Amino acid sequence: MFETFETLFWIFAKIWAVLIPLFLAVAYFTYMERRVIGHMQDRRGPNRVGYKGLLQPFADALKLLFKEISVPTHANRVLFLLAPALSIGPAVAVWAVIPFADGWVVADINAGLLYILAMTSLGVYGIIVAGWASNSKYALLGTLRASAQVVSYEIAMGFALVGVLMAAGTMNLSGIVEAQAGPFWNWFWLPLLPLFLVYWVSGVAETNRAPFDVAEGESEIVAGFHVEYSGMAFAVFFLAEYANMILICVIAAVMFLGGWYSPFHGVPVLGPALDWVPGIVWLLLKAGFFAFCYLWFRATFPRYRYDQIMRLGWKVLIPVTVVWLVVLTVLIYAGVGPWF
Amino acid sequence: MLENYLPVLLFILVGLVFGVVPLLAGFVLGPRRPGAEKQSPYECGFEAFEDSRMKFDVRYYLVAILFIIFDLEIAFLFPWAVVLDDIGLFGILAMGLFVGLLLVGFLYEWKKGALEWE
Amino acid sequence: MEQAVFYLFAAILLFAATMVITVRNPVQAALFLVLAFFNAAVLWVLAGAEFLGIALVVVYVGAVMVLFLFVVMMLDITVAPVREGFARYLPVGLVVAVLMALQLGVVILSDEVALVGGLIPEPAADVNNIRAIGGVLYTVYVYPFEIAAVILLVAIIAAITLTLRRRTNMKHQDIPEQLNVHKDDRLRVLKMETERRPDRGGVGHEEG
Repeated sequence: MFETFETLFWIFAKIWAVLIPLFLAVAYFTYMERRVIGHMQDRRGPNRVGYKGLLQPFADALKLLFKEISVPTHANRVLFLLAPALSIGPAVAVWAVIPFADGWVVADINAGLLYILAMTSLGVYGIIVAGWASNSKYALLGTLRASAQVVSYEIAMGFALVGVLMAAGTMNLSGIVEAQAGPFWNWFWLPLLPLFLVYWVSGVAETNRAPFDVAEGESEIVAGFHVEYSGMAFAVFFLAEYANMILICVIAAVMFLGGWYSPFHGVPVLGPALDWVPGIVWLLLKAGFFAFCYLWFRATFPRYRYDQIMRLGWKVLIPVTVVWLVVLTVLIYAGVGPWF
Repeated sequence: MLENYLPVLLFILVGLVFGVVPLLAGFVLGPRRPGAEKQSPYECGFEAFEDSRMKFDVRYYLVAILFIIFDLEIAFLFPWAVVLDDIGLFGILAMGLFVGLLLVGFLYEWKKGALEWE
Repeated sequence: MEQAVFYLFAAILLFAATMVITVRNPVQAALFLVLAFFNAAVLWVLAGAEFLGIALVVVYVGAVMVLFLFVVMMLDITVAPVREGFARYLPVGLVVAVLMALQLGVVILSDEVALVGGLIPEPAADVNNIRAIGGVLYTVYVYPFEIAAVILLVAIIAAITLTLRRRTNMKHQDIPEQLNVHKDDRLRVLKMETERRPDRGGVGHEEG
């Protein structure tokens, strides 16, 4: 009995050790977003609350906390209040299988990659239920756009991940990182370059971010599926969206950029010289680069039109991945190249 | 194996808690001043509808159906990719036939214009 | 511990399944079905089938139920039509139910399926579930595997023929056509005499 409690205690300790940094990261990602885009547009961004505006995310959270949660009259109350939980639940649960450094993983399961795919595909329920329960035209339109888009890009993403599996030969995420052991030209981004690009583009589209943000389309349908949400109910959706963005960044680093390995791992002089840097620092640097790209895209690209988004997903990304999977099969079977 | 899944289960529970607790906190700490105008669904300039659910373009159903089919294909590809080295040429050709059949379907929908949006 | 978890999730599964057929609102029924699938996945993982359990979530919860929700949500059925025709369909329903119960009984009691005693053979300690499935699916069971592909192909074609309507007032973008546009098709340069400025009276050189 005592042992059971001890294991449970340690599991919960690990869960919090992942979640507290995650929520801090989300908070400062929103801050970073406004600062970075501000500078790209030659403004300052938030700089009043705390030193250089560093307390801004907490001020925002507190503001939302003390706002009223309004429930529209004709909404389905139960489902309306359930939708935020359906959105954040999977977004949090995916982090169970992410390896942050050698051996730093909460649940080291064999089917890790499949689990990630399962949890990301659950995220669409939050969107659908929110849009339907709100009983508002704008919310419903946002739901339709968002769910059809998310669902289309999930296929391209799934195909891209199949390529990673073929190269690594395991679904265990730590195993995938270990299969890339070595300097940066050993990582999967090079042999799987087309899949890497497809993964990244569909990752941006999966999270409904610019330039694929027609689901939100503030100039067309106000805010999309969560127009009717206010206060903490909105905050939960917001949190889920940003947690998913960070997740896409971290997975990109784990799958294609060698996870926790330093870029010169195993190189004669530079390798040992960088050995003192803990693995998680490399992972965070790589993920941080992708996070910056998210903001960069938002400040740079104009929004795609809906039919263009669907065409890109079905007629460009999926054929590219299928062709590259065939090439990859031949390469692996013939044992060509230094990677396989 | 099961001991690896216990943290997963707990993680999912914690995730759901994160959806419930902030809402409760919001209801406790936030004001409650309902009003007819405030509670009405967002609308642009005219009175809101009683029920705004509507029938929509059948194209969205088609996307959902095609999604199921390709999702299944991915589910079949996953274990195949893992055992690629063990099943030899026969296994590879078996998957080649499988994917080939689905590609025929994919080309069909492309030619039929099921992927066009306007 | 494991047993407690099993009974907990089995109870939730039964509850959710009952709600699916008793709840009035079809959207809520579909969401209860999602809950039921999810619990079934947990039970499968408990039985040692980790790959199948998670694949159940990916395929059924992540894809099939999304379509279900799309359909029931958008078909404008807010509250299920009251149980009209309940008595009429009852006999058929009962026959199907009895048949299914009989089939279940045959499977459970047969000698070939060694389920008597409720024991599932203990999986060997470190056999990787996914490798075990992959090792036989594409070699030993290749015939059913290809049949699955044919069924999926039929599904694609059927879905398209059933739902695709050509609309007459379609406006869609043809990128090759746009790229192939030559300026001669769109633009005509006319040679014409230079116009003289209309006389506004008193403008410098025109007076000369």
